[in-house]
Amino acid sequence: MINPNLIFAVIFFPILLGTIIVLAPIKSRKLMLALSLATTIITAVFAWILILYPPKDAVVLFEFVSKYTISFKVDGLSRVFAGLISFLWPFAVLYSFEYMEHEANENTLKEKTFFGGYVITYGVTLAIAFADNMLAMYCFYEMLTLVTVPLVLFTLSDEAIKATRMYVVYSLGGAAFGFISLIFLMNYGNSLTFALGGVLSGNGLDGRDNVLRLIYVLAFFGFGVKAAVFPVCSWLPKAGVAPTPVTALLHAVAVVKSGAFAIIRLTFYAYGVDLLKGTFAQYIPMGAALFTIVYGCSMAVKERHIKRRLAYSTISNLSYVLFGVTLMTPLGMTGAMTHMVFHGVMKIAAFFCAGAIIVKAEKHYVYELDGLAKRMPWTFVIFTISSLAIMGVPGLCGFISKWTLAKAAVENGGIAGYLGVGAILISALLTAIYMMQMLLRAYYPLEKPVETEKCDPSFRMLIPLGVFTVAMIVLGLFSDPLIKFFENVAGGII
Amino acid sequence: MFTLFTLNESLSMAYKVDRISVVFLIAIIILWIVAGIYSAYYMKGKEHLKRFYSFYAVLFLILVFMALSANLFTFYMNYELMTLCSVSLVMHEQTKEARDAGFKYLIYSFFGAYFVLFGFYVLNKYCTSLTFTMGGTLDKSLVAGNEGIVLLAALFMIIGFGVKAGMWPLHAWLTTAHPIAPSPASAVLSGVIVKAGVVGIIRSLYFLIGADFIKGTWVQTAFSILTLMTVLLGSALAFFEPVLKKRLAYSTISQVSYILFGLSLFEDAAFEGSLLQFVAHAFAKCGLFLVAGLLIIITGSVKVEDMKGVGKKYPVLLWCYTILSLSMIGIPPTGGFLAKWYLIEGSLRSEFAAFAWVGPLFLLVSALLTAGYLLPLSMKGFMPGKDFEYTKEYVKLPKKAIVPIVILTVLCVLAGIIPNLFTGGAL
Repeated sequence: MINPNLIFAVIFFPILLGTIIVLAPIKSRKLMLALSLATTIITAVFAWILILYPPKDAVVLFEFVSKYTISFKVDGLSRVFAGLISFLWPFAVLYSFEYMEHEANENTLKEKTFFGGYVITYGVTLAIAFADNMLAMYCFYEMLTLVTVPLVLFTLSDEAIKATRMYVVYSLGGAAFGFISLIFLMNYGNSLTFALGGVLSGNGLDGRDNVLRLIYVLAFFGFGVKAAVFPVCSWLPKAGVAPTPVTALLHAVAVVKSGAFAIIRLTFYAYGVDLLKGTFAQYIPMGAALFTIVYGCSMAVKERHIKRRLAYSTISNLSYVLFGVTLMTPLGMTGAMTHMVFHGVMKIAAFFCAGAIIVKAEKHYVYELDGLAKRMPWTFVIFTISSLAIMGVPGLCGFISKWTLAKAAVENGGIAGYLGVGAILISALLTAIYMMQMLLRAYYPLEKPVETEKCDPSFRMLIPLGVFTVAMIVLGLFSDPLIKFFENVAGGII
Repeated sequence: MFTLFTLNESLSMAYKVDRISVVFLIAIIILWIVAGIYSAYYMKGKEHLKRFYSFYAVLFLILVFMALSANLFTFYMNYELMTLCSVSLVMHEQTKEARDAGFKYLIYSFFGAYFVLFGFYVLNKYCTSLTFTMGGTLDKSLVAGNEGIVLLAALFMIIGFGVKAGMWPLHAWLTTAHPIAPSPASAVLSGVIVKAGVVGIIRSLYFLIGADFIKGTWVQTAFSILTLMTVLLGSALAFFEPVLKKRLAYSTISQVSYILFGLSLFEDAAFEGSLLQFVAHAFAKCGLFLVAGLLIIITGSVKVEDMKGVGKKYPVLLWCYTILSLSMIGIPPTGGFLAKWYLIEGSLRSEFAAFAWVGPLFLLVSALLTAGYLLPLSMKGFMPGKDFEYTKEYVKLPKKAIVPIVILTVLCVLAGIIPNLFTGGAL
């Protein structure tokens, strides 16, 4: 049996080591890189041990007063989220080695801040994943905002400063709504500890059902800031000014999916679907999610900056997850988890390709891509596969996650369900437009390109990309066991 | 049935051979071979040959797997892959027009594919299995009370697959994309790839939802109206089109909807007619595009009016063109004639309200228009008029350019004499 105290280790080891990397006077770049990679890998290994052999008990870090604690536990949903980030993080660090060489211009101080922050963020995200109650999740959720500030601010350009300001204001503002919800849950819930089905059942709500529903809606949009739901999504494309490893891992997976994860916790584990289903508390968030799905894609079609285009695509895809959540059925939750994981893999691959294009070929805009596929053959093979996956071509993982979501929506039936299917399909078409436009330009240039020398990145960037490509195909073909697992999580069996 | 791979309880990759697969396979294999031989002449000395032939070969495999698909998932997967690979043939020339045409093709196709996907999602709930079974697999107890959504799914699948088949109102991509491709590619695009949409409609209507369920509903009415509109519209637009390859593309729009009209009747004779039209049109249209490619090389112009007098120097070529055109119009002894005969017979027998006699009327008007847009080239080709001055130039056409066209012409006539050889039916 695994000692549950290991949870502390996987959370605080990277936070501690990350702080050391930032503060300690390390001169050698190699040592710093080795330290970051080693920390991430060790943490990931132990995180995987926890995920595969979850200890049953919760561990308490801190006790405020009797009922209110900061405690951690490994349950089904945390295994899903922690598994996703623990799979991606080591590869992202490996990828950053080469990328940051270009981005930081051998400024060791800057690089130290970056890698330190990157490692710390891992610990904080794991803490969110393993949080056992609303209070613990809320604390680390706030912390996540703070530790990622230096990463967004990285270039120190005007643009970066503006983006960071916006990010902080939006996130902290959103968290305030989360805090209001926390207070209400403290007052009306049996306990703050997450339990599938919610914590509100049992004692009388004194006829305050509608107030609680309103608070849920507020908290949905509060946590929705990180999950980039309309109308609080505009920080995400702006934050694309950060280095690509940050945009790829944090703004396509870790940070934004913490938002989605928090909303799943809020909906299924805190308020409970019994209170929310069939009321305005279901329809308002669902409407917002559906609108965001189409809105994100439309903006992506309009956007000509590659990274910002992918960021808009992320906005749209995150709302797929939220749509699954707002269906408020076990199937919907399964779909949400599936898309959370699968989208993470395919979007990080797409972003890493975009990063390779930015540092190696120094192209930032879609119209500059003409003929680039000849110069970066490997990058574009992977970019093509990830694009097809995001579009949802059968055989790749995107098809499966859309399938699970659509199955949930059709099973749900009614106008809401079919509107959801419609939104997913419209967005799939728009996705085809904005992804294929880039690919066709790269593969079919109109004129003979002037520059012809090859500029594919080295193996340190290609290995992560290759691994994600294999993952996209494997998840597309052998998804069944994983989806069964998600179904069990949603059904409360695991 | 051979199951290659199982993804989960409702999705698997499985293959089997039935009558529809055989008809489709015949068209695919013959067209791919003859257009391949022809391309040895046509593509000689062009750029990016490696890419062209790689996609040509991959597309062949994908189409074969599509023809053999035993369930909707397998079919849909190959259908999307086909779109992605065939766009390369459209954009081969890499000009601005070619790239725009390719993009238009891609977006229209995906638009259609996602309409199909809606049907796919819905049928997954209401069908007992997604394996193609003649007569359909709808779960009657589940459908009871939800007929509306299943009918909507049927309509969406018709429209979705109809995009590939060039059905009005989503036909605009076809006349942009097909003419811009190199001629051997236009030939297979117009001959086979549009038929993937037709097969999709056959598979979803006859093998999943079931003819009985749709017969007599508003979906059948809508389907018939759409196809008849397309038949007439395609012919009319072709009639006014001066550019030969574009004219042929409009002709494809019209002729493929003959097949769809036959399917929309849900009647046996019409179904046989549709299958025969499927094969005959594949041969004829492929042949016509190959001829068009040669005529463009010979005259150096893409317009029909500049192709006067070619019959004098290239009699075989123009005779083949004329016979293939006769099949398009529906004059014996060609496959097209027999196909249209059965379509009209089926229509008259179908007792399908006004469509039983409006349909044949539309087909006949369209046949007149077809004669009007195809035969002038033959007449002016053989009889350019007194004032016409023959130029001395003579492009030598090797056997590999002419033989494929002759083969297709012979096949087109054979389809009219022994149709059962191609459709496996009992006409």
